[in-house]
Amino acid sequence: MDHEHLDTYRGHLLNRVERRAEHARRHTSHPFHLFINEQRVGELDGMGREATLQVQHPARIQTVQVRSEDGVLLGGLCAPEHGYKTAHIAIGRDSIDLDVRNHAQGGTVNAAYTPAPPLWSRARRLFDRATDRRASTSAPPLYVPAMRTMAFTQVLVAAVLVGVVADRWTGWSTQERTPPPVTPAQAPWVAPMAEVAKLEQRLTDLMQMQTKAIDTMQTQQQTMAQLQRTITKLSAAQETVASGVVTVQREIEKREKGVGREVDRMSRLLMTRAQNAQEELQAEIQSLTIANDRLSKERLDLERSNQELKQRLKAAGIDISKAAPSKAGSGDLAQREQPANTQIAEGRRSSEPAPLLFWVTFQEGTSEDSIERLVREVQGRKGTITDGWQAVEIVHPVESPDRFLDKIRQAKIVKAVRTVEAR
Amino acid sequence: MFRAGMMGTLSKEQSAADRHPDAGRLDQVVTTPEEFDRVVAQALPALLDRATSYTKRFLRETGQWSDDVAHEKFVLRWGAEYLERFLVCGRSEVPCRPLFLLDSLVARQHSQPEPFCYHPELLTPLGRLIDGLLSRAAISRDALIALYYHCYGLGPGQVIAVLGMAGSESQRIYKNFQRWRDTGWQRAMEDAGISADEIAEFSRQQATHRHRFNADAERLIRFAQAHYRKSEPDHYACPSPVEWEDMFAQGYGTDYRIWHLALCVDCLQTAWDVGGARTASIDKPRVDFRIHPS
Repeated sequence: MDHEHLDTYRGHLLNRVERRAEHARRHTSHPFHLFINEQRVGELDGMGREATLQVQHPARIQTVQVRSEDGVLLGGLCAPEHGYKTAHIAIGRDSIDLDVRNHAQGGTVNAAYTPAPPLWSRARRLFDRATDRRASTSAPPLYVPAMRTMAFTQVLVAAVLVGVVADRWTGWSTQERTPPPVTPAQAPWVAPMAEVAKLEQRLTDLMQMQTKAIDTMQTQQQTMAQLQRTITKLSAAQETVASGVVTVQREIEKREKGVGREVDRMSRLLMTRAQNAQEELQAEIQSLTIANDRLSKERLDLERSNQELKQRLKAAGIDISKAAPSKAGSGDLAQREQPANTQIAEGRRSSEPAPLLFWVTFQEGTSEDSIERLVREVQGRKGTITDGWQAVEIVHPVESPDRFLDKIRQAKIVKAVRTVEAR
Repeated sequence: MFRAGMMGTLSKEQSAADRHPDAGRLDQVVTTPEEFDRVVAQALPALLDRATSYTKRFLRETGQWSDDVAHEKFVLRWGAEYLERFLVCGRSEVPCRPLFLLDSLVARQHSQPEPFCYHPELLTPLGRLIDGLLSRAAISRDALIALYYHCYGLGPGQVIAVLGMAGSESQRIYKNFQRWRDTGWQRAMEDAGISADEIAEFSRQQATHRHRFNADAERLIRFAQAHYRKSEPDHYACPSPVEWEDMFAQGYGTDYRIWHLALCVDCLQTAWDVGGARTASIDKPRVDFRIHPS
C-alpha cells in the first residue's frame, strides 16, 4: 500500500517536472518574481509593457530564477563565478532577458521584460521573413529593404497606369454611345481630356517624389548600416576593455599573492635566524650553567676541606693543652701558646694556598705544543728542565696537591710526576 | 563504518543507474541547450532517482534519516525540486556533462547551513500539510496571500483591511485568492504528497478536536514560519512596535507588510496592538488554521 502510494507520488512529481516547460510556455500570470540564490528580491511588473529591474546583491550570485505569481519556475540561470552571463527566457510570446554579473564583492542582475509585439507587427515580421527568404539568394541583406520598397512602388505605379489606361479605353469605347444622364453631383467625375492630362502630370510628380523618397530611404539605410558597424566596433572595444580590466585585476591579484609570498619567505628567514641565535644562546647559557655548577661544587669542596683543617687545628690545640704539665708557670704558658699561634697562622696562610711546584717527565715523542697546552690547561708556569724533568709551578692551585697531581698523572702525555727536585 | 556506508549508498546509485539505460548518455558532453533538453528529457526518472538518493544520503549522514514513508516522500519532493532547478539552470551551463552538473547542483545546495526545512514533526501528515503551504508561500505570492487565510482565517477583504492596502494592490489580492482557490491549493497538496483521504481525516480531526488540532497546528506553523521567513532576507528582521506604527501611519513598506506578516504571527499581533493593522470589524488576529482554501 505504502509502496503504491510512493510510486504514485513519484509519478506525479515526474509528471510535474515534465509539464514544467509546457506550463512555462503558455503561462501569463503577471507580475514575474525574481529570485537570487533562492531568495525573492523583486518583481517585474510586465502588464503588457516593457519593464526592467536591476538588483545589486551583496553576496556572490549563484542562481537567478524567474517565477510566476503562482510560483511556477519559468526560467533562470547559474551565474558564473566571475564575469557575466546572459539568458533569454521565452514565456509564451513574451520574453525576459537576464544579465548577471559577479564582481569581487557581490553581483548585479538586470532583468528586462519584453511583451509580445502587437498583431500587425507580427504580420509584418512574417511578411519580411518571407521576402527575406526569397531575396537572400540574389541580393546582399543590406539592400533588401530598398529593393523591396522599390518593387512595391513599381507595382503601385503599374497599377495606377493600368487604371488610367483602362479609364481612357473606356472613354474611347463609349465615345459613340449616348452619354448617360449626368447629375450635378456626378459632373466633376466626368472629366475631359485636359483633366486626364492633369492627372497624369500629378502621377508623374508622385513618381518623382517616390523616387526621391526611395533615395532618402536608401541614404538612411546606409547611415543605419554605418551606425550598426560603429556600434559593433564600440561593443568590441568595450569587451576588450572589460577583458583588459579582468586581466589587470588578475595581474594585481597575482602580484599581491607574489608580494605575500616574498614577505612570507623573508619572515620565515628571519624567524629561522632568530631561532638559531636563540638556540646558540641557550647552548651558551647551558654551558655556563654547567661551569657554574662545577665551580660551586669545587667551592663547596674547598670550604669543606677548609672546615676539616680548622677542626684538625682545634683538635691539635686541645691535645697540646692536655699534654702540657699543669704546674707550668704563666711564662711557660706563653711559650706553649706560641706554637699554637704559629699553627693558627699557618692555618690562616693555608687558607690562601701556597704555590705548588712539581716536576714532570713526558712520554717519548711528546711535542712541545702538547706540553705547552697541558701547562696552560693547569694554569701553570714552566720552569727549568733538569735531567729530563720539567719543573712546573702552579701559582694559585685550586685543588689539594694530591688530587691535582693525580689528575696530572692521568694525562696521556705524562710519564711520571714528583714533588721533590731530582739530585 | 562511514566509508562502508558511503560505498553502500554509491553501489545502490550504481544499480539505480543500471536500471535506467538513458542514464549512460548523461555523462557525455552536451554542447547546446537544445541537446541538453533532449538528453535530459529522455532520462528524467534516472535523474530524479539520483537527486533523491543524494538527498537521502545527506539525511543519513546528518543523522536525520528514518526508514518510513514520510522520509521517502520528503526526499522525493526535494529530489524533484532539485531536478526542476537543474532543468532550468542547466541550459545556461552548456557545454557540460548533465549527470555531473546535477551532482554539483545538489551538492552545492546541501553544503548550505539549512538546505531545507527539516523537523521530524513536519513529517507527520499535519506537518506535511503546513510545510507544503509555507514552502509554497516562499516561492509563490498566491500561496503567500493565501497564508493569511490558512493561518489566521482572514479573507481577501480582511487581508486588504489589515494590511492597509488600496487601489491596484487590493485587486491583486483578490486575484491571488482566486488563483489559489482555482489551482494553487490543489497543486500544493499534490506536490506535498497529501492524499484526499488525509485531507478528509484532517477535517474530521478539526471538527471533533478543534482546540487541540489548532494548538498542534500553531506549534508547527511557528516553527515553519521561522524557517521560511529566511527566503525573504530583506523582510526577515522583526521591526519594533514603534517601527510598525510608523510604517502603517506613513504608508510605506507595503511589500514588507505583505511578506513579513504572513510569515510572522507575533509581528501581526504587534502591528495590531500598535493600531496599524487594527480595524473595527476584525478581531485581533491569532492562529486559526484552515485546511481548505476560502
